[in-house]
Formats: sequence, C-alpha cells, structure tokens
Amino acid sequence: MTMSTFSIRGTFRGAIAALAFSTTMGLATAQAADAITAYTSYEEDEIAAFLARAKEDMPDLTVNVLRLSSGDLHARILAEASNPQHDVIWGWAVTSLIDPRIGELTEAYSPANIDRIAPQFRDPNGKWFATTGYMAAFCVNDEVLKAKNLTMPTSWADLVKPEYKGEVVMPNPASSGTGYLMIASILQMMGEEKGWQYLKDLDANIAQYIKSGSRPCNAASEGEFAIGASFALRAIKNIAEGYPITMVIPSEGAGNELEANALMAGSKNKDAAKRFLDWTISDNAVNEYYNWKEIVTATGGTMPERFKSAGLPEDISSVMWKMDFAWSAENRARVLEQWQKELER
Amino acid sequence: MSTLAVDQAASQSRRKNRKSRMAGIVPAIIVGIPLALFVLFPLTHILGRSFSTPDGYGLANYAAMLGNERFLRITWNSFAVTIVTTILAIVFAYTFAYAIQRSTMPFRNLFRLIAVLPLFAPSLVQAQGLVLLFGRNGIINRTFDLGIDLYGYWGIVIASVLYVFPYAFLILSAALAVADARIYESAEMLGASKWRAFRTVTLPATRYGLAAAIFVCFTLVITDFGNPMVIGGDYTVLASEVYNQVIGQANFEMGTVIGMVLLIPAAIAAIVEKRVSAKQYALISEHSKPLVPQQDRMRDRFLLAAALLISLAILLIVAVVVFASFVHLWPYRMNFSLRHYAFDVQNGIQPLWNSIYISVMAAGIGVVVVTAAAYVIEKFPSPATRALYFLSILPAAVPGMVLGLGYILAFNNPMNPVYAIYGTLFIIAIANVYYYHAHGFLISGTSMKQISGRFDEASATLGGSRLQTFTKVTLPLLFPTLVGIAVFFFMRSMVTLSAVIFLITPNTQVAAVSVLYLQDRGATNQAAAFSVCIIATIMVVLLAVRLLLNATGHKNVSLIR
Repeated sequence: MTMSTFSIRGTFRGAIAALAFSTTMGLATAQAADAITAYTSYEEDEIAAFLARAKEDMPDLTVNVLRLSSGDLHARILAEASNPQHDVIWGWAVTSLIDPRIGELTEAYSPANIDRIAPQFRDPNGKWFATTGYMAAFCVNDEVLKAKNLTMPTSWADLVKPEYKGEVVMPNPASSGTGYLMIASILQMMGEEKGWQYLKDLDANIAQYIKSGSRPCNAASEGEFAIGASFALRAIKNIAEGYPITMVIPSEGAGNELEANALMAGSKNKDAAKRFLDWTISDNAVNEYYNWKEIVTATGGTMPERFKSAGLPEDISSVMWKMDFAWSAENRARVLEQWQKELER
Repeated sequence: MSTLAVDQAASQSRRKNRKSRMAGIVPAIIVGIPLALFVLFPLTHILGRSFSTPDGYGLANYAAMLGNERFLRITWNSFAVTIVTTILAIVFAYTFAYAIQRSTMPFRNLFRLIAVLPLFAPSLVQAQGLVLLFGRNGIINRTFDLGIDLYGYWGIVIASVLYVFPYAFLILSAALAVADARIYESAEMLGASKWRAFRTVTLPATRYGLAAAIFVCFTLVITDFGNPMVIGGDYTVLASEVYNQVIGQANFEMGTVIGMVLLIPAAIAAIVEKRVSAKQYALISEHSKPLVPQQDRMRDRFLLAAALLISLAILLIVAVVVFASFVHLWPYRMNFSLRHYAFDVQNGIQPLWNSIYISVMAAGIGVVVVTAAAYVIEKFPSPATRALYFLSILPAAVPGMVLGLGYILAFNNPMNPVYAIYGTLFIIAIANVYYYHAHGFLISGTSMKQISGRFDEASATLGGSRLQTFTKVTLPLLFPTLVGIAVFFFMRSMVTLSAVIFLITPNTQVAAVSVLYLQDRGATNQAAAFSVCIIATIMVVLLAVRLLLNATGHKNVSLIR
C-alpha cells in the first residue's frame, strides 16, 4: 500500500505540492511563508479579480483558495475543525461566522487601517471584520409581466397580491443564506407575529422554494417565472448580460448579509495571513470590491455606473434594512425549524 | 460398498471442503482490507456521528427524524420516485438491450452508442436539458404554448429514467449478449412460440442481469440528489434532504441519520438480488453454440420503433445542452457565440486536466480492485464470502456526499495513515473507485458467473494450477470486461459530483464540480459548455482506446460497460 501510494504520488506534481503543503510544512519554511490558504464564499470570478489585485500589491504571496457556497463552507470548516486546512476565512457570511463553534476556531486580529470600517461592520471582540456584502432584490422578467399582463411589484407587500399566484420563486431559507436573510429581515421588520402571517400569505403565491440564492433570479431571467427573489448583484449581472429583467429593491428595506474575514487560530503562517487580511482593506482592494459588490463597507471608492443604472442608489444604506445579525444567528435554528414545519413543502 | 465406506468418503470430502473453505479466507481478507478501510471505516464515522447528540451518544436524532411527519412524507416521495423510475428504466432498457442483442434491426452499433450517451456528461446537465426543453419557458412550451409544468414528481422521474437508463441498459445488454443457440433450437423444435421461448428461456436466463439492473437502478435513484435539485421544485426526496441538512444547515447529525436510513432499502435490495442470483446457472458451457439472431420483420420493426423513440429522447436532451452552450444568451438571443468557452472560473480549464488525471488513476485501481473482489467471491468460497460480498455492494447504497463526508470525518486526522494522501488527487481517485465499486463489481461478477465452472475443472484436470487457470483461461475470457470496467471507472470519475464535493481542495478541483459551480451561479450556458468539454474528452478517450484495441486484434470488444 505504502509503496504503491508513493509511486503513484510521485507522478503527480499537484499531489506532491498539496502533500508538502499539508504535512511537511516545517521542511518548506521559506516557501510556506509566502503561501496561505483561504476559504471563501466569494464567487469564482470575484476571487479571480480580487487575487489579481492582491498579486499587484504582494507579488511574493501566493493565496490558495477554496471556494464553496456559505453552507458548504460551514460544513467543511466544522468537519475539519480538529485540523483546519486553512489560514484565513475570507468573504464569508457574518451570520455563519457568528456561530460560536466557528468563533472557537478563529483568533482576534485588528488589521492596519481598521478605522476605514465602521464599528457596526466589525466584531466587538475583534474576531472578524466585514468588507463587503449583498442584499435582497427581486428580479422581475419584463417580458413575462407583459405576456401575462401583470404589474411591476415594488415591495414585499406587493408580492402577496393574488395576481402573482404561481409566478414567484424564492430561495429555500433552510439551504440558502440569501433565503434566510430574507425571512430574517421580514421577521425583524414586521415582528414575529405579523411576519409569520405574511410568510404564510406569501406562500400561497410561491411556485417553488429554490435551494440556491442566485437561481431564483436566473429562473426569472430565463423566463421560467415572473419574479425571482434573489440578491442585487445577481440582478445587476443578469441585466448586464442582456436578460429582459428589472431589479426591484423591496421598498420596506432590503435584507442583507455581510461578508467578513477572519484569522484562523490554527494558522501555521500567521504573518502571511495577517498581511493578506491587512490588504483586504487597502485602497486597491476596496476599489476592486466596487466592481463586484453592491455593499462595500470600507470608506472611499465610488460605485460603478452600471450599478446605478440598474437602480441601486448611491447611498446604499438608505435602502438597506438594518439587520440584527446577532438575532439572525441566535434564532436561525428556531426560525428555520418553524419555517420547515409550517411552510416547507 | 459398505455403509462405513460411504460415511468415510463423505466425511473425507466434507473435511476437504472445509479445508478449502478455510483457505479461501486468506484472499478474502486481502481483498477485504482496503474495502473495509475505504468503505466501512468512513461509514462507521458516519454511523457514530448519527448517534452523536449534544448530551453524548443516543437515539435522539433518529427519534426526531421518525417522529417528524415531513420526514415520513419525504421518505414516501423517495420511494414513489424510485419505484416508478426503476420500473420504467428497466422496461425501456430491456427493450433497448433486446433490440440490440437479439434482433437484426439496422444501426445497432449506433443505437448502442446513443444509449450510453447520458453517461458522458454529469447528471446535472441531464435535468438541465429537460428544463431547457420542457421548462415553463423551455423550447417546447414556447413553441407550442402547451403550458407544461415539469417541475416536481414527473420531472424527477423523467430525468432519473434518463439518468439510470444507460446503467440498466449496459447490465441487461451484457446479460442478453450471451445465449446458447441450442436451447432456442430445442424450443423451436418442441413447437414453442417465440413469446413462449422468450418467457421460458430468455427471461429466466437474464434473471441475474435483471436483478442486478433493478438493484443498481433502485440504489442510484434513491441516492441521487442532482436531478431532484435541478428539476424537483418543491418535491423533496431523501437524497436532496441529506444535501439540505448537511450543506444548508451544517447539520451533520441529521444528514448522517438520513444517510443511514438510505442504507436500509439498499440492503434489502441487495439481499433480494443475492437470493435471485443464487439460482443462477452458467450460460455458456463448453458445448455452447452462440446465438445468432434471425430476422423477424414484425419483431424488428417494433424494436426499431422503440429504439428510435428512446434514442430521440436521449439525443434531444444532449443536443439542447450542446446548443445552449453555443448561443449568446439563452433563451433571448439565440445567435451563435463561442463566448461560453472562454472559461473564466478561478482555475480556468485546469479542473478538466485534474479530472483526467483522477479518472485514469481510478480506472487503473478500479479494475484491479473490483476484479479481485469478484474473483475471490466466485472462486474462493469461504465463511467470509458473504461479508465480502456485502462490503463490495455496500457503496451502491451510500450517497456520494455521505461517503465524501465520511472520508473527511475519518481521514482528515494526522493520526490516520491515510492522512498522507488527504487533499490530493489520489484520494479523490480512491473515493471514485469505492463509490462506484458496487457497479464495477457487479459487471465483473456478471461476466464471471457466465463463465462456466467447467472451464476451471477442465483446466484443473489438465494439471493447471489455480493461477494458471486464472491467467490462461479466466483472464482472457474476462479481458473485454476488464477493458470495459477501466473505461467505466474513467467515465464515471470524469462526471461524478457528489462523492468528491467535500474532498476537493484549491489544487484539486475537478471538472464536474466546475459544472456545478457554474450552474449554481447561473451561468447555464457556461455550465453547458464545460459539460460539452467533458463529453468531448470522454469521446476522444473512447475513440483512442477503441483504436488501440483494434490495433491489438480485439475488434469485437464492447468498450462501454
């Protein structure tokens, strides 16, 4: 077994690199100091763009990235808890980061220029800081509206109108972070009693609870349904792609999620990891965020034109619901259980 | 002869028998150890996790699950989908396999290729094709304004039938490929009608293949999460619920409980299958005369029509996906564009190369592992045979993601020697080998069963050792099967998704996962384009292997198993 493993291993460079990286860190100090592994939920194209900028500022630092959706990543990090494979958490949902089991794995760190990020976007204990975020928005297919003679909705309240019966899709909050932030914001803004009643009324119009956060927008963009509750960036991108859709930000205020960074306590390359975390709030990083993110927490930088033309206001906080992330995290299990009991199909 | 002498002879032969049965334990253990390490060991971690509660170990997770009305409904959903899908897939696949092996209809080789086409792409894309065709805004609804709503039960069933059809077809085709013409001649001479000959000769002779096909279909469908996720809408099944619990809610405990629950029907299916195959007899003996199908216009016309309909369904799905990969913006700007082939995922086209590496490794390791298991079970009966058989088919009952999670829970631990390959392409290849072990093993076993034991006896009578019999008789007879199994592991490893989703690292991303990521972020056309690359790779490899075989004089080997 050992022999055959070894010879097979010997033929694959990638396997060797990964092996050297994970098991013989001590032997390769010079190289290891310049390489870190980041776990992230950023999208593939965002990662590529951010890392291209990072390379400009830190040419000697190699950032190995594992990209998983926020739920995947949660499972992965917890499964690896006894022996973490990564140095930093990068661009991951605050609502997940607040999980105390995750908190045990991270270490407080205050990066250079942390003042660029307002306190409400940081952990009071310094364990994480949010740099970017996303918010709920509806993708409404103009052609389907026209064909079925429907009016343009402007709010969550509109979505319960009988005319939209069977034409609304939204993410399943049990499997999608976007779905959960939607119902968390609804329960926070309407209060639990009215909020649950609203969700039941909305349920009558919902064609499907889709298991991913971006797919409702894609389904609406491709004309499968009239309205897909999703997040703003997906809508902006699909408009840029040329789909006949309108982005509608619910007038009650858009539920949102922040994406934060943290240092793993078990990192074996803390200096390099800290350098990377410092970089995530540098000018170069913030400017790049604005190419991709509807929510950028750091001060400075300007919002691109295509965001504005899709309907995003310059002062984004004016349309953001002030999320109580601690509430979202603490009540997650209970809310999801109740949602699954009463509404999941 | 006195009674005493008879008794003595009997007890002597019993002793000899017992001795050889005990000797059989050694190979069984050698073959069983890696199986135990890479299948049973991860599963024990899953099992342990399913009993783990905040207050220590207990049945709380199971109690919560069984007392939950929704869970019972989902279980029912799973069975409703799985049973109907299995029946449909078996009927279609048997008809198709019969048409190819036992009729004289034209284009049989072409039909055979079409039948296995769904194996060339990740299953995800199958359901995607169905949505592109029959979705609320799919081509069919848009063109004919039919208002078909495919999401839900029937969507899953149709997608699943397409998904498992080639698996069933391959097993049944192998079972129908061999027949002894003498039996049919006798039946004809005795005045049996063709239908009667089919019922009393063909069906019983393919009983083992049928049982295996039903078993494979059943377990594939009940553990598949890809199709239900894409086309199921709100119709949840057990497999997608595992995904939901583990991925969506980081709830390992509940996910592993459902994973354990999924093992039960598969275990029952395995027992039933074992019962049926116990009565199996060798189809080819040294006196056999190969069956050459005779022309029968009525029958061939009917079979041709059926094969055409099934082929059309398969081709339409693949065609619409290929089409979608080449249009500018589905479904609004249908002009030709190559822009979806400029892969801008983080690793570009690298995952495709990783997949090829992994698949080649899995093919090499897989052939050895499953053939060894099938050979030991068939030729070295021992008290351990039953356990080895169970271990060999167990993976078919394990949802890929459960096996993958089991690998993380079991092997991501520096104390475990396997940790040395954790995070490499090698462990992904290993995961593929054991995830598909049952199927490869069944193919191998089906072929091995059909080689008469008399060949062994003849070889032994002529003074051949077991090793000689294996290398000179069994291996050459098995050779076509072995090439088929290697190609099988290669193809499956190229397209598999669920077993590897938890095992990939930044350096070891694979092609099928890229398809999932692209699909998930809404790049439907790009996901289609990546799938087309996977399909093309598999086709090129198949063609290369075919040319190699032709060059070495094995022209009549059927490659895809």
